Amino acid sequence: MITGNLKTSYRADEQVLNNRWKRGFVLAAIAGLAAIPLFGNNYIVLIACQMGIMLIAVTGVNVVIGYTGLMSLGHAAFVAIGAYATVIFHNAAGGVIPESLLTLVAIPFAVVVSALAGIIVGLPSLRVKGLYLAVATLSANFIVIFLIEEQLFAPWTGGMNGINTPTANLLGWELSTRRELFWLIAVLAVLALLAAQNLFRTRVGRAFIAIRDRDYSAEILGISLYRYKLMSFAISAAYCGLAGALFAYFYARILPEQFDLHLSLMLVAAIIVGGMGRTMGAVYGVIIIVMVPEVIKVVFGALAGGGAELAMIRAPIQEIAFGALIVGFLLFEPFGINQIIDRALRALNRWPFARG
Amino acid sequence: MGQFLQFTINGLMSGAIYALIAVGLVSVFKATRVVNFAHGYLIMFGAYFYFTFAVLVPQMPFAPEWLQSWRPEWMLAMRADLPMFSPMAAVLDWMANLPRILLGLAGALVCNALLGLLIERALMRPLMGQSVFAMIMLTVGLISILSGAAQLIWTSDAEFVPALAPNTPIRFEMFGANIFLFGADLANMAIALLIFLGIVAMVRYTKSGVAIRATAEDQSTAYSMGISVPTVFSRAWVLASTTGAIAGAILATRNGISPALGLFGFSVLAIVLMGGLDSYLGVFIAAMAVGVLEALTQWKLGGEWAGIVPYVAVLIVILIRPHGLLGSKEIERI
Amino acid sequence: MLSVQDLSLSFGGIKALQGVSFTATPGEITAIIGPNGAGKTSLFNAISGFYRPDRGKVIFDGQDITSLRPDKRAALGIARTFQNIALFRGMSVLDNIKLGAHTRLNTGVFGALRYFGAAQSEELALRADLEARVIEFLEIDHIRKAPITALPYGLQKRVELGRALAMQPRLLMLDEPVAGMNREETEDMARFILDVQEEFGTTILLVEHDMHLVMDICAHVVVLNFGEQIASGPPEEVRRNDAVIEAYLGAAA
Repeated sequence: MITGNLKTSYRADEQVLNNRWKRGFVLAAIAGLAAIPLFGNNYIVLIACQMGIMLIAVTGVNVVIGYTGLMSLGHAAFVAIGAYATVIFHNAAGGVIPESLLTLVAIPFAVVVSALAGIIVGLPSLRVKGLYLAVATLSANFIVIFLIEEQLFAPWTGGMNGINTPTANLLGWELSTRRELFWLIAVLAVLALLAAQNLFRTRVGRAFIAIRDRDYSAEILGISLYRYKLMSFAISAAYCGLAGALFAYFYARILPEQFDLHLSLMLVAAIIVGGMGRTMGAVYGVIIIVMVPEVIKVVFGALAGGGAELAMIRAPIQEIAFGALIVGFLLFEPFGINQIIDRALRALNRWPFARG
Repeated sequence: MGQFLQFTINGLMSGAIYALIAVGLVSVFKATRVVNFAHGYLIMFGAYFYFTFAVLVPQMPFAPEWLQSWRPEWMLAMRADLPMFSPMAAVLDWMANLPRILLGLAGALVCNALLGLLIERALMRPLMGQSVFAMIMLTVGLISILSGAAQLIWTSDAEFVPALAPNTPIRFEMFGANIFLFGADLANMAIALLIFLGIVAMVRYTKSGVAIRATAEDQSTAYSMGISVPTVFSRAWVLASTTGAIAGAILATRNGISPALGLFGFSVLAIVLMGGLDSYLGVFIAAMAVGVLEALTQWKLGGEWAGIVPYVAVLIVILIRPHGLLGSKEIERI
Repeated sequence: MLSVQDLSLSFGGIKALQGVSFTATPGEITAIIGPNGAGKTSLFNAISGFYRPDRGKVIFDGQDITSLRPDKRAALGIARTFQNIALFRGMSVLDNIKLGAHTRLNTGVFGALRYFGAAQSEELALRADLEARVIEFLEIDHIRKAPITALPYGLQKRVELGRALAMQPRLLMLDEPVAGMNREETEDMARFILDVQEEFGTTILLVEHDMHLVMDICAHVVVLNFGEQIASGPPEEVRRNDAVIEAYLGAAA
């Protein structure tokens, strides 16, 4: 029995935060976010920035894998395209557009370029599903990295050696420190999350889920598989492009190998751990995926005290932990952390009448 | 023309190894509907196991000396009479290594079979009957686990491993062009092709092959007809990991051992999709085609371009023929 | 309304349909019957666009739709249900029904990402409309938030009908709407089908094995056997047709 479920309008019934626990949870999260740049030390700001960037990308991956059910193992390619598009745009348009407006144009530019790339990479999804798509996107990832590294394009991309990145500048406010950049990242991450949540309250998002659950049935309802699969790919690539743009502003230098298969797998892992096809799944997944290597680092630091011997095995352990997270969640909690937290919140809401 | 022939032959030789790796992927797919994204890492384990048993174990203090290098009196006597670079000398050098090569292969086969069995039993079996998506994602998780584990276990730098066959240089003339090959490469190709053909024949003609094909057709029907589907699953995984072990040993002798060997699996994945996931013939054609294309690309454009040949090729093929060259289209019942 | 002209379809060597022709009268219920494997579902799939016929035409509202994609046909006002329920299992009843209204809504990607504003008012209007016209109509208001997987078979069938009704179709195709139902559930479903016909004036095409239902509610019956159309006419006429009796009971009887 759900208690306190007394709705008087469809508007109230359609609300996402439909009980006070959920509202409280979100308010607390936003307050916590604002506290980070105000009170957090440099380390916390660094981690929070990384999480914010990752969150945007994972939300994009969630759209295509979690909601539309199209497997992709190559979304790091779109992050790379977003990052490089930003840098190249800054270098090319530096003299033409005033410095204070450059960032405001570069970010949308990166998002659009990534979305277009998403449409191209998504083309195979029109003809084949499942596996083929996973391999097609994986291939796209390898090809994009190769092209970035290729000598031919090195004048623009910096080739294998990477390229220095510009500083973000919002109407004259230069975001030269990570603490300042955090505001931009946090605002965009929250907006990105909100937009994703909104998507699934309308016909567009519902169409994605319909394609995931039963594509021929979606078709019979008038949903064009071609249109919506490409749309899903474009949206997810746009999210990754945004993450890429922020990535470029965040690090002083970007290298092609930062966007290889490892990043693609990380994005997929985050969504599996957090909960596929759930908006908050991306949040929980990112927290875990970013924190686990950090925790391992801290534990090893305490154990080894800087011993080279132990430090050598840290990287492989981190890698194993990462794979074990994917495998463990698939085996034991396929719906991810979101499921665990949902269960807890539901119990709280019904307390003291029912549990579970 | 001479260059072209030379590179084409080189391409066919690597194509044969692609085919050997692909056969494992196709077999697992046929039996379980799962494409193993971590197959390249199984191959890497095969390579490391071969290295362990062919190089590390013979160096151990308890290992008899003949294991390290087998040089009976008659061999030394024969060797002494031979000139420096004679083919016979290469054969004798190979024979001296034969004990550790055989130990290496046996070790790699057994250990990889156990590894394949372990993965199937502990990770894939619990997901049986659930979504294929979850099983495939699980193999994606395996990538990280296997790659990390290999770095933990084999921290030492990889050394030279003995070739599977005498590495005599072979020169001959073909259509008026001079072709230059290494004996070991030729032997590797022969081994790869023989195993490929053997497995295709097994799937086609033996009882367990029929069980695999029946399972591929319809799992629950096969189960109800008395075919033990779990056994078929295990067999497929063992088949994949043992062929992977041999491929790993061959690759180790060709390119040395490194964690990058795992990436090799992704090229083969592309090849398998290009050929059509469930068609041995299609996959064979694709493997050979990619091998040759890679070699020709290397010749014309340079080594780094060769690396993306399989990926570009698979994208083109998928766009034109979504189910690969010879793959069967799944007909969906509505 | 809908007319099928000389439709033929084959899979490899198997002839699923051979020269089937009939017309569904507007506002009436037309039944397609025949023994198992007669090609009834193949005919449905050809009409809704999953199978491309080898020969013949499908005409809807005077328009030749033979080579139109399924989603385009839906936009013209053709809705259908499936023999094995094809609901979206990851969603609630309400979301399933909302999906039926997909082609009637206008929100685009950018509106959807923003939600507040046009998209929200469209969604709320849709909700009010569906509540009155579908959920109350089919008496499923008690389960609107329930996940599909939690529902019994009969209710799932009803929800699938609801999803089709949300499209406000002009032609409703029902593939075995009462298969596997008990007498009570069958009667309920028959009542709903008749209500749809009366209230919305929808043209209905149904495939069914339950002869009582077919004879009771249909105005026109088309009989298929091994892909061939062996009879067509009002129920009274068809039940006395020798070819039909032979197909159902065998030649010796």
